[in-house]
Order: sequence, then C-alpha cells, then structure tokens
Amino acid sequence: MSDYVKNLLRFCLIILIQELILNKINLRWWSNPAGFPVFVPYVYPLFILLLPIETPVWLMLILGLVTGLTVDTFNSTAGMHAMATVLIAYLRTNVLAALMPKHLSEYPGQSPNVKNMGWVPFLVYCGFLILIHHTVFFLVELWSVNNIAYLLLKIVASAITSLLFIVVYLLLFTKQAVQRSA
Amino acid sequence: MRTFILFIRRFFNLIFFLGLEIVCIVLIARTKTLQGNELMNSANSVSGYFYNKQNDLVYYFGLRQMNDSLLNENARLRSELAAYSAVDTAKDGKTSLPLNFSDSTHVLHFAEYHYRTARVINNSVTSANNYLTIARGSEDGIEKNMTVISSNGLVGRVENVSKHFATVLSMLNVKQPVSAKLKEGTTFSVVNWEGERPDVLLMKGIAQEIKVKNNDSVYTTGYSQYLPANILIGTVFKKEILKKDNTQQLSIRPATNFRNLQYVYVIENKMSGERTQLEDSTKGKNK
Repeated sequence: MSDYVKNLLRFCLIILIQELILNKINLRWWSNPAGFPVFVPYVYPLFILLLPIETPVWLMLILGLVTGLTVDTFNSTAGMHAMATVLIAYLRTNVLAALMPKHLSEYPGQSPNVKNMGWVPFLVYCGFLILIHHTVFFLVELWSVNNIAYLLLKIVASAITSLLFIVVYLLLFTKQAVQRSA
Repeated sequence: MRTFILFIRRFFNLIFFLGLEIVCIVLIARTKTLQGNELMNSANSVSGYFYNKQNDLVYYFGLRQMNDSLLNENARLRSELAAYSAVDTAKDGKTSLPLNFSDSTHVLHFAEYHYRTARVINNSVTSANNYLTIARGSEDGIEKNMTVISSNGLVGRVENVSKHFATVLSMLNVKQPVSAKLKEGTTFSVVNWEGERPDVLLMKGIAQEIKVKNNDSVYTTGYSQYLPANILIGTVFKKEILKKDNTQQLSIRPATNFRNLQYVYVIENKMSGERTQLEDSTKGKNK
C-alpha cells in the first residue's frame, strides 16, 4: 500500500474515532459532578505525529491545517483546533531531530514509531507535542487566565488521558504489536 | 532583491507557519462574536450526516431516561391543564367545557409561540462554548435565534441553520448570558456560565436585602424577543455574598441535564417580526 493511501485511510480512521467515539465520552475523574472538570481526550494530533519522517514542513503545515479544520467543523470551534495542530506540525521536525538517534534523512520512507525510536523516546515525543497542543487549545478555548489552576488541571489531565488513548490506538493498529503478542 | 528572495527561501517554513496561524486567528476572532460564523459549524451536511448515523446507534441507550422525562412532563402538563379547566381531565377527558366563541366579550389570544420537536444528534458539555446539533433545519421551519428548551427547562438558542440541521448554542457558553428572574418575579438579573462545570450556572448582582432560599426556582423573563417568559432555568443551591460590591451571587443547578439530552423543543415566536419592527422604529426615532 502506498504511503499516500495509508495516510489517507489513517486520517479518516482517526477523525472518525475522535468525533464519533471519543467526543462522546465526557471524562470526569472523580464521580462527584462538581469535583473535577469534564474534558474530552483529543487523539487526532496523532495523524500529524505519525506522518512519514521525510514529509516536508510546508506539506505538514497544510495537513495540520486540514486536520484541524476538519475537527473544527465537527465541533463548531472554528480555527481553535486548527491553530493548535498547525503549531505542533511546525514543531514536529525539530522535536524529532532532537530525539532520533541518527540524522532524519537516514530513515527513508519510515514513520516515527515505537520500533525505530523505542518506547521512551516515542512517548516523550508524543507527550511533549500533545501537551503543547492541549495547552494552546484550552488557552484559546477558555480565553482567560482568571482561573489558572483550573486551566492547568484541565490541560494536564487531558494530556495524560489523550496519551493513554494514543498508546491504546498504537497497540491496536500497528503490525508490530500483533506480531509480538502472537 | 536577491537577498530578499534568499531571506524568503531561508525562512519559508516559518513565514508559511505564521501565515497559517494568522488564518486560524482570523477564523477564531470571527466566531468570538455573538453572531457566530456561517462557514464552519456542525450544521453542515457532511458532519450532520455522520452525527445522524452515530445517533441512530446511541439513541437506544438513552430510551429509558427519555421515557422518564416524558412521563414527568406529561404529569406536569396534566396538572397545568387541570388548573385551567373546570373538569377533571384525568377522569373524564371527553367532557371538557368548550369555549364559547359567540361570546363577544371574550378575547381569544391566538398562540404566540409555536413549538417544534427536534432530535439532538450531537451534544457537548466540555468546551467553553457548547453546541448541540439537532436534526431539523430550515426545511422544517427552524430559523436563527429561536429558543430551544427541553422537557425540563431551558437549553439554548439556535445559532446556525442549514437545510436539514441546525446548531444550538447551549446555556453552557461563556459569551451569552440569559435574562432571568427569581420565583416571585421580585428580582431580575442575568444568568451566565463561568465555563467550568456543566452543573453550575451563576446569577450575579442580586441585592443583599432579597431573601433567597435554597431550591428557589429561577425562570426566564419575557424581555428577550425570542424567549417565552416563565421557562424554568434551574434551582438555587448556594448563596454567597460578594465582598467586592456587597451583592449576592447565586449558584444555580440547571433544570436541564445537558449530559443526556435526546429530544428538545424549538420555540418559534410568531410575533417576533412585529416586535422587532416596532422596537427598531422606536429606537430610530429616539436617535
């Protein structure tokens, strides 16, 4: 399967998972309704995170915009998701260059994954970009820093949950995981 | 010129990135206005289609709660009806007294509001501005700014309409407060949401002398031209006195459970056009 088809399918899959399943789960970490903010885990940045390593930055920016706007359209939040996604699409190459053991041009046709990065660097890579994405998104969404403790809680809790869902996604939809468990 | 082109080539990615971010900011800035944006919202047909399909599936899980709320509403309507009619409607509904149309002293008001039911196909409580998507659109007569209520209380206001779908800005939004009054109609104020929890609305600026008890109801006023008066917003569950300006602040538990809405009513005000026209002409005269 060519890279284009693969990524297109992944795009549809991730957007549908995000919109039709995850957006319906309003997580509350304590069952007391007033105890903790509700939030939705956002896993759709994973599409940007899993693009092939050699993708040029300008293409990644456009894809980030398209992904963000698609999610925005579903959520009636014009531009907010797009803004956060474009930002991580821009930062991705630099973060990858810092974390990969070899130069980026030595991974032709590969995506960043657990196999060529190892679990810890991969989780750092995902976690860092997800945290940035969530920070920007919730800041823009709430549009005030009056209640900074609440904002920080929401960002950190959402980022951790998103990361958990990303790990689940990777275990479900990558071939390596299947072979290892078999 | 050469250095300029070199500069562009060197920083192309950065410039492109900044350009895209500016596009996003413009989009956000346009939604921050009250009118909302026309271009991107979940009332468009593609996302509406997906939400519809998804709702068909999830619909069944909420049937029990929906049944309960419908039963409650039936009971409430029955008791309200009983207050208007001299006849016990539950016992012998067939024999209610007919209105005497020939009586010329009797003024007949025709209904000012028209109610339409709509199914909720998408719902959120987690954002700072929450939207519902309903499976009714301009073809069913839904228009912008109509009020939406559930069987229990106020839900929100229609913001965007497409042919078959419409988005509703729910009460849980930080940009638009609702005009409200306390039980006896003694105090008027606005109810708004601070963007934190879907279970708490705030009513500020109540004078200290006003005695408020817990579980007092808060209703809408007829001040807004789209909103019928006396729709339940919620009940008071906490009172505090603000040191800052010595006023009371009431925390209100919304009557509607925003987490599991399935069906809502969209209210059309038939007199709205006439009223707007009158108010606008009055404003124009005073200028």
